[in-house]
Amino acid sequence: MSLDYVKFSNGFEKFMPKEYRDMVEHGPFGKKVTVSQMGSFKEVLEEHPMCAGCAMTLFIRLAMIAFPNPEDTITVGTAGCGRLAISQAAIPFVYGNYGDQNGVASGLSRGLRLRFGDKPKDVVVMAGDGGTADIGLQQVLHSWFRKERFTTIMLDNEVYGNTGGQESGMTNRGAVLKMAPLGKKFEKMNMVELAKVAGCAYVATVVPNNPRRVESVIKKAVLVAREIGPSYIQAYTSCNIEYAIPTDKVMEDAKAVENDRYQFQEYITDEAKQYLTERYGYKEFLAKSAAPAASIPGKG
Amino acid sequence: MYLVADINVEICAAKNCKLCTQYCPEANTILYSDELGKDKGFKYGSAYVAVDRCKGCAQCVWVCDNMAKNHAIKMVMIDQLPQAALTENITYGEKSTTAVLTSPVVG
Ligand SMILES: Cc1ncc(C[n+]2csc(CCOP(=O)(O)OP(=O)(O)O)c2C)c(N)n1
Ligand code: SF4
Ligand code: SF4
Ligand code: SF4
Repeated sequence: MSLDYVKFSNGFEKFMPKEYRDMVEHGPFGKKVTVSQMGSFKEVLEEHPMCAGCAMTLFIRLAMIAFPNPEDTITVGTAGCGRLAISQAAIPFVYGNYGDQNGVASGLSRGLRLRFGDKPKDVVVMAGDGGTADIGLQQVLHSWFRKERFTTIMLDNEVYGNTGGQESGMTNRGAVLKMAPLGKKFEKMNMVELAKVAGCAYVATVVPNNPRRVESVIKKAVLVAREIGPSYIQAYTSCNIEYAIPTDKVMEDAKAVENDRYQFQEYITDEAKQYLTERYGYKEFLAKSAAPAASIPGKG
Repeated sequence: MYLVADINVEICAAKNCKLCTQYCPEANTILYSDELGKDKGFKYGSAYVAVDRCKGCAQCVWVCDNMAKNHAIKMVMIDQLPQAALTENITYGEKSTTAVLTSPVVG
């Protein structure tokens, strides 16, 4: 929970594994690293058992690079494939029971504010579509209604991947899966609209075939959640196992899905725009936000 | 035996666009070295693969072929690589890394 927690105690450096020493000396802690520097610094994510070629793995890798202060971040996850990697990083990880993650994160984020006051400690939930939109929906929505200030990221592979292919609320209508052999009968849930209605201050959809955009939306979401309100990112992170996507075609699939149902969307309240602009020097909202922000003072 | 990605230094160094690592699902796997290719007159270094971390998905091959249009990466059986980078032989620097290449298969 601070840069100091990763550092060596005097005299212990030589006993630490190489990966650990590399991470302390050449990792992202206390510096600003970007996606364009990838391959030249030591990443905090270590080896893990997620499948070869999994787009969710790539997204998690990018997310950890995008965290504005990785040394002051705690991730919260739950049952599902993503936790297999999220838990293997030099970022503290809290495992909520399946569906509990947004309840756990609410308490955690409140506790951290009591303990650390104004010093930012970022809480980021990353959970599957089943964990977020089905089993955890009640806690997800209530954390938003209650304006809990942390980021929720849905790793949307449109299936229960970890348990072998059941349909989720985020599966497309008609999709045939191993354990949905007749095809799904209902539409994909519109979690983006739910997030807006429930009071999120920042909402975005992304696909991992645009690494810089992933970086940009995660940074904004985490910064907005520090002070303004809840933020939600919905990422398409295909399951190449359950959807039988050849691993070298995962990016082609991501592009096709982006064009079909995952076009980039970004929603941000005027209050959040003003905050990102004034506090963090964002320029992208200046021209567009000037008129409406002035006409509805204080509106968020 | 199994396949891992192998980057041809001369083809990569001619372009060195740094795209493939942004799409490799595995962290700390495709790295860059400013030194690679210098002996052959290339200035900007090359990408290389820490083969002990590569899961053989070939996503990087797709990226180099279709996005970079440079065709520098091929999948090779790990025991067919005479020399390769392994995590234990990689040193991180300020803005680049260096690797001592060794035989990737023990024995
Ligand atoms: C309370 C509870 N019920 C069921 C499970 C079994 N379980 C583990 S992972 C999982 C599905 C995960 O699907 P999703 O959230 O979409 O994540 P994915 O694996 O697809 O990333 C289930 C049902 C569990 N761990 N706990
Ligand atoms: S089962 Fe699917 S989502 Fe889970 S790690 Fe494998 S490819 Fe990724
Ligand atoms: S995509 Fe190809 S050319 Fe670009 S850095 Fe990777 S191997 Fe080199
Ligand atoms: S084959 Fe897959 S895991 Fe190996 S370097 Fe290429 S993208 Fe990374």
